Amino acid sequence: MLSRVASHLYWLSRYLERAENMARILDVGASLALLSGEGDALAAIEPLVITDTLDAFDATGLPRTPENVARFLAWSPSHASSIVNCLEASRENARAVRGSITSEMWENINDTWLQLVAKRRDGAEPTDAAFFDWVKERSHLFRGITFATIRRDQPYQFIRLGTFLERADNTARILSVKQARRSTAADGDGLTDYYRLSAVLRSVSSLEAYRDTYRDAIDARRVAELLIFDPSLPRSLRFCFDEVVRNLAELPQAPARTARRLAAHMHALLEHGELEDVEGVGLDAFLERFLRNNVRLGEAVHAAYMEMK
Amino acid sequence: MSAPALTPLPAPPGVYDEMLDAARAPRAHYAAYADWLASMTPEQMAGKRAEADLIFRRIGITFSVYGEEGGTERLIPSDVVPRIIDADEWERLEKGLVQRVTAINRFLADIYHGQEILKAGLIPEDQILANDQFAVAMIGTRVPRDVYAHIVGVDIVRHGDGSYYVLEDNLRVPSGVSYMLSNRKMMMRLFPDLFRRYRVRPVEHYPALLLQTLRASAEIDSPSVVLLTPGRFNSAYFEHAFLAQQMGVELVEGQDLFVKDACVYMRTTEGPKRVDVIYRRLDADFLDPLAFRPDSMLGVPGLLAAYRLGNVVICNAVGTGVADDKSIYPYVPEMVRFYLGEEPILKNVPTWQCRKPDDLAHVAAHLEELVVKEVHGAGGYGMLVGPTSSKAEIEAFRKVLMANPGNYIAQPTLALSSCPTFVEEGVAPRHIDLRPFVLVGREIRIVPGGLTRVALRRGSLVVNSSQGGGTKDTWVVDTGTDADDGPAPSDAPAGA
Repeated sequence: MLSRVASHLYWLSRYLERAENMARILDVGASLALLSGEGDALAAIEPLVITDTLDAFDATGLPRTPENVARFLAWSPSHASSIVNCLEASRENARAVRGSITSEMWENINDTWLQLVAKRRDGAEPTDAAFFDWVKERSHLFRGITFATIRRDQPYQFIRLGTFLERADNTARILSVKQARRSTAADGDGLTDYYRLSAVLRSVSSLEAYRDTYRDAIDARRVAELLIFDPSLPRSLRFCFDEVVRNLAELPQAPARTARRLAAHMHALLEHGELEDVEGVGLDAFLERFLRNNVRLGEAVHAAYMEMK
Repeated sequence: MSAPALTPLPAPPGVYDEMLDAARAPRAHYAAYADWLASMTPEQMAGKRAEADLIFRRIGITFSVYGEEGGTERLIPSDVVPRIIDADEWERLEKGLVQRVTAINRFLADIYHGQEILKAGLIPEDQILANDQFAVAMIGTRVPRDVYAHIVGVDIVRHGDGSYYVLEDNLRVPSGVSYMLSNRKMMMRLFPDLFRRYRVRPVEHYPALLLQTLRASAEIDSPSVVLLTPGRFNSAYFEHAFLAQQMGVELVEGQDLFVKDACVYMRTTEGPKRVDVIYRRLDADFLDPLAFRPDSMLGVPGLLAAYRLGNVVICNAVGTGVADDKSIYPYVPEMVRFYLGEEPILKNVPTWQCRKPDDLAHVAAHLEELVVKEVHGAGGYGMLVGPTSSKAEIEAFRKVLMANPGNYIAQPTLALSSCPTFVEEGVAPRHIDLRPFVLVGREIRIVPGGLTRVALRRGSLVVNSSQGGGTKDTWVVDTGTDADDGPAPSDAPAGA
């Protein structure tokens, strides 16, 4: 398979996953902002903190209202990771390799883009729950079509790698910010905690999983345990790395020694580790190191398969 | 009947109507279609057209138009009324195409080697040797089986006299075949009942034939074939991706290839992989920045050296442009006589070469009647269509022409035949042409029909998609056949 094609497939799925995650963050953020009322300035900027875009937002000069933040992250043409830009980048990557994916996949992602263009017509820039649901649904649909139509070959593996490296990054960021916020919140009474933690779980579709697993009140330690170590939860770090390691193993081995070693190391910590290990170094430090390693892994995958020297 | 039936309007006098004869009755091969059309309402047809547009856009069969803002994607309108060609007539055309393309390949092999046709004095030497399109690098370079033009898209029109004329032999990177295939797929989906009434000869096996042709272009067993595209911002990118996918070959850009030890490789996730045949959809000037345009980012450095050593085959060959140059076009009938000793089956359009003083004088005196084209032009740009131009446009063009007469040829304005087309005013005549695709492998193969382009504006003679043209599905049918007794011809032959 062409290195350039591998790169397009990998980024096509990374960008789509990124758009979905952004929609999840904004969706939960919006409902939380309603709950906490006008005065909560921290809640308004939380989506910016999670995605590391606070400075970029402030550079626009707009007041930090939930509406402005949502419009910036969803629709801003100048913000590279806004939902519109992610969906467009995903579609452009797909267009470059439309011969390497199934026609159903191409038609779906092209249709998503056409619908997006239609939504923006007449200057409308919806940032309501219906829009976020639409983004999630289109992402789910593409994943389902991929699953149902493409051969289990290199194109599939690069698509899956992109999805799970991006998703791991997102879950770690959400956990990191929400947990940090909780520990510093002055008004950390039980009720607020409950809503914050359930928001974390909802943003990664894991509220039901939590209830099924623990059948008990929502507790910060268990939330972290679930999202880091649970092998059966599709958005946990452990699950993401099961997939990363599996797909790397299917790809040509020779060029990817560094990437595979790093992925195996990260996977081992998730497979054999326990919450006590994490608490030993501190959740923040653990997640920060994880995010750093995840970036390094992305670079190693790139160097192994996609570099066009 | 509740709604008015659709009755096709006839062509104006002097224009050959593909559907209706002089008595305004449907020609034999259109009779079944006319019956069917009479049972349709304009609303039903409009509904079908809307359905077609939606599917085309969703599939992403779009075309970027030069000069429009980047990223502009437009549909090439696909008309829902087919262009139908009688099988007997098609077989005559086919013979003519085989003859013509054979002669052109002989000509190309000749001018890059013995130059017998120049020695015989049939074409002035400077017309070839001083031609921009003459590739000096190809002198003495052997190509397998002496095939230079593997894929040819010949533009043919039918004049008011009812006979076909060749307008252009596109020998470099002819495009449009994906529209031929998409149109057929769409028509079968929208009008299955029509395909039961007619035995339409299938075209769906074109990608299989193309792959055979490309494989046959190399002298080794199971060569590795790639399709080289300028990239996704090229106007024909959809077609490149589509053909690569249909053939199951890699779609590569220049940056995916490199040359090492005079062999061509592609960069893959498993390391370098050897390439034997390049189906280039890139103008030859851009193929190798070392040999041609140093500013080209699209090509592969060192490619030409590998090519000249015979380590890779390029389809079409470098240097084919000299034979479809409009200044060489007038000599094609001579080529047929010289190389094959036969009389040409297909007619050429009479052409005045403005480099000749007598011809120029005639052209200058008759600008308002003629079509004047740039010798190296393509795509309907830089040309004058006298009868449809204003006085001011003609005078402006005259200045350009007189400043550089050698750059132009002129032809009578042909009254392109018209075919009923579903437009605002109903089913009305619009001018059409035909581009059959000729594949030159171990033998010459042509799928029946080709791409019909249609000028959608009333009276317009410009069919180019870049100038507001559309396309039609093109049917070659055996007349008199009532296919009700047999299976619908929707099943392409095995291997298609």
